[in-house]
Amino acid sequence: MSKNSAPVPQNFFTTGGKQTSPLRLLRNRLLTALCIVLSLLTLVPLLSIIILLLRNGLPLLGADLFTQLPPAPGQDGGGFGNAIVGTLVMVGIALIFSVPLGILSAVYINEYAPTSKLAAAVRFVAKLLTGIPSIICGVFAFAAVVMTTHQFSALAGGVALSILILPTILLTSEQALMGVAYAYREASFGVGATPFQTIWRIVLPEALPAMMTGVMLAVARASGETAPVLFTALFSYNWIHSLMEPTASLSVLIYNFASLPYSHHISMAWAASLVLVILVTIVNVSAQIIFRPRHR
Amino acid sequence: MHAEPARPHTLTTFTAALDQLRSTVLMISSLTRRNLQNSIKGLMERDDDWCNNSIADDEEIDLLEMQIDREGIEVMSRFQPVASDLREVISSIKIGANIERIADQAVNIARRARKLNEQPELAELHLLDELILHSMEMFDDAIRAFAERNGDLAKGIKPRDKELDQLNRNLTDTLVNRMQDDSTNLPGYLNLIFISRCLERIGDHSASIAEDVVFAVHAEDIRHLGKTAKE
Amino acid sequence: METLSNEKVTEDMIPPDITQPLPLTDDFVPGESNFIQVKDFKFFYGKKQALHGINLEIPSRKVTAFIGPSGCGKSTLLRNFNRMNELIPGVRHEGDITIHGTSIYDPSVEIIALRRRIGMVFQKSNPFPMSIYENIVYPLRIAGQKNRAVLDETVERCLRSAALWEEVKDRLHESALGLSGGQMQRLCIARAVASRPEILLMDEPCSALDPIATAKVEELIIELKKDFTILIVTHNMQQASRVSELTAFFYLGNLVEFDSTRKIFTNPSKKQTEEYITGRFG
Repeated sequence: MSKNSAPVPQNFFTTGGKQTSPLRLLRNRLLTALCIVLSLLTLVPLLSIIILLLRNGLPLLGADLFTQLPPAPGQDGGGFGNAIVGTLVMVGIALIFSVPLGILSAVYINEYAPTSKLAAAVRFVAKLLTGIPSIICGVFAFAAVVMTTHQFSALAGGVALSILILPTILLTSEQALMGVAYAYREASFGVGATPFQTIWRIVLPEALPAMMTGVMLAVARASGETAPVLFTALFSYNWIHSLMEPTASLSVLIYNFASLPYSHHISMAWAASLVLVILVTIVNVSAQIIFRPRHR
Repeated sequence: MHAEPARPHTLTTFTAALDQLRSTVLMISSLTRRNLQNSIKGLMERDDDWCNNSIADDEEIDLLEMQIDREGIEVMSRFQPVASDLREVISSIKIGANIERIADQAVNIARRARKLNEQPELAELHLLDELILHSMEMFDDAIRAFAERNGDLAKGIKPRDKELDQLNRNLTDTLVNRMQDDSTNLPGYLNLIFISRCLERIGDHSASIAEDVVFAVHAEDIRHLGKTAKE
Repeated sequence: METLSNEKVTEDMIPPDITQPLPLTDDFVPGESNFIQVKDFKFFYGKKQALHGINLEIPSRKVTAFIGPSGCGKSTLLRNFNRMNELIPGVRHEGDITIHGTSIYDPSVEIIALRRRIGMVFQKSNPFPMSIYENIVYPLRIAGQKNRAVLDETVERCLRSAALWEEVKDRLHESALGLSGGQMQRLCIARAVASRPEILLMDEPCSALDPIATAKVEELIIELKKDFTILIVTHNMQQASRVSELTAFFYLGNLVEFDSTRKIFTNPSKKQTEEYITGRFG
C-alpha cells in the first residue's frame, strides 16, 4: 500500500510445484472418484429393493388387501387385513412391555446409579442381548409363554418381540439421556429440584426425541422379524378375536406365501412386503414430526 | 518486599513497560541532579555559563516529565496494574512531578546566581554551603531510595527536612540582620535569601519523593501524619 | 455409589409457598459478619484432596470474590455451600460449613430447602429448553405453586431484578434459547432469585460473555447485593476488584489470604497473593 511496505515475496502463494506434482494430483482425483463411486454403490441395493417391491407389489395394492382375509391356497382374491392388524397388535404388545421397562431402566442406570454394580450388569446384559439371534427370542417365548399357556398366541408373539427390542430401547434411551447436557440437571438441582422432578420435567422431555428414534428403530425391527413370531403366534387365516389365539402377522404371511407354489400368493407376499415397508416408513416419519425437539 | 519483586510478570511486555517507566524516572533524576549541580557551580564559581546551561537544559526535564506521565498512563491502560505494580506506577508519576519542580528550583537558583555574579562577591555566599550540602544529600538519598526500593532509607529523609527548614530560617535571620547593617548590598542579600528559599523547597520536594517511595514499597501513606494526628 | 437416591426426598419436604421469604432464624441481623462460617473444611474427590482445612467467615449482604489459579479449589468450595458437589460420586468432606449458625450438614437440613435458599448461577448460562416464562417459574412449579397470579408476579419481579424485563416482556412465551448470551445469563440469575434465596453463588458468571454483557451482569451483581449475600468465583481480577467488597485468594486448595478487596488489590499481605494478582504466576 505505502511506498515503504515490504515487497511481496515471489511465489508467496505457490510451492514451486513441489506440492502439486502430477502424480499427487492424479492420486487425489482417483481417491475422490473412488469415494463417489462407492457411495453410489451403497444406493444400489437400497434402490433395487424399493424398485423391486414397487414393481411386484404395486399391481395388487388396493383397498381389498386391507379389508379382506387371506385366500386359501390355490384361491384368488382376498387380502391380509388380519395380518396387518396382527402385526400392529404384536408390535403394540411388544412396545407396552419394553418401552416403559427400557426407558425406566435407562433412567435408573444413567440418572440414579450410573456407577453401581447393578447398572454395570444391566448395561452388560443389554449389550449381549442386542447381539442375540432373533430366533432365540422366539424359542424363549415359546418355552416361557406358549408351553405354559398351551397356546400359540399374539401375547406370546408380543413377548418374543419385546425381548428382542428391549435392549435396543434400553441402550438408545441411555444414549439419549447421556446426550442431555449436564448443565440442565445442574440448573435444576441448583434451584432445589428433587431428582425425580429433574428427570421428569427436564431430562426426559429433552431426551424424548432421541429416545423416540430408538423406539422407531425397534418398531421397524419388530414388525419385520419373522423368526420370533413364527414360533409363538404361528399364523391364522381369520381375524384376531383375542390375544390368546394364533395370530397372523405380515412377516409370517410373507414367509408362508412366498414358499407356496401359487403365483397369486407369491404376488400377495410382494404386496405384503410393500405394505410393511410403507407402514414402517409412515410410523417413522410421523414419530419424527411429533417428537421434533421443542424450542430450538 | 524490600528488594526487587521475586519474579517477572508472566507477560514480559508488562515487565518491560514497568522497567521503561522506571528508567525514565531515573533518567529525569540524573538530569535534574546535573542541572542542580550546574546551578550551584555557576553560583559558587561565579560563572554565568554554568547557570545558562542549567536554564537551557530545563526544557529536557519538562519533556521527560510528560514522558513519565505518558508511560504511566500507558501501563495503566494496557496492563491494569494492581498492588505493588499499581503503587509503583502512581509513585513514579508523582515523583516525576516532584523532580520537575526541583529542576525548576535549579533554574531559579541559576537566575539568582547570574544576578549575584553581576555584583562583587559577597562574603556571606558561603553561608549557603551547609544548606546546599544538606538539600543535595536529601535529594540524592530520595533518588537512591527510589532506585533501590529502599523504604527504610526513604523513611529517614522526612525528619531531615525539619533541619533544613531550621538552617533556612537561621540563614534568613542572619541575612536580614546584615541588610540592616549594610544596605548597599541589599539586592545581593535578598538574592541569597531567595536562593536559600529555593534550596529549602528542594528539600521539601525530596521529602515528597521519599513519601512516594515509602508508599510504593510499604503501601503506607506517611504524608501529613503529624497534622492529622493533632486534629 | 447411589448419588441421587440417597437424598431421600419426599414431596412433603417442600414447603407449599416459596414466593414468601423463608422464616429467618431469630438471631439474624442484616449485615451480620459471620453469616457464613467455614470451619476447618477439607474436601476430597476420591483420594485427591481438593481443599486443605479452609477457615473463612463471610458477612451477609456483601459481594465476596473467590480468586486463584485454576484448580485452586475456589469452585469446589463454592459448590459446597449448596452441596452441589455431592452430585459427584466418590466425594467426601471433613469440617463444617454453617449458615446462620446452622450446619448445612446437620441431619435436619433438607437439601432441597438448602438449595432454594442458596441460588446458583453457573459458568455457562444454562436456561432450560423452555419459554422464558417457564424458566423463571420452574423453581415455583417444582415447589407445587400453581396460582397463576403468583407465577406472573414472580416472573415480572425476577425479570425486573435481573434488569431483563424491558428486553423480554413482549416475548415471555418464546424459547429462552433464542436470547443472546448475556440475556441468557441474566435469565439464569432471574431464575436463581425466583425462589427468594438469601445467598447467590456465582461460578464465573461472565466468562462466556462479551464486555458489554459482562458489564450488565456486573451492574446487576452490585444491584443485587442489597438483597443477597453474593459469592462469586472469577478468573477476572478486574472483575473481582470491580464488584466485590471482600476477596479470598486460594492456592493449591488453601485459603492464602482473605481481606477487603481494596487491601488485596493495593497491598496484599501475602507474597503469593501479590504475585498472583500482579500477573507473576498462575
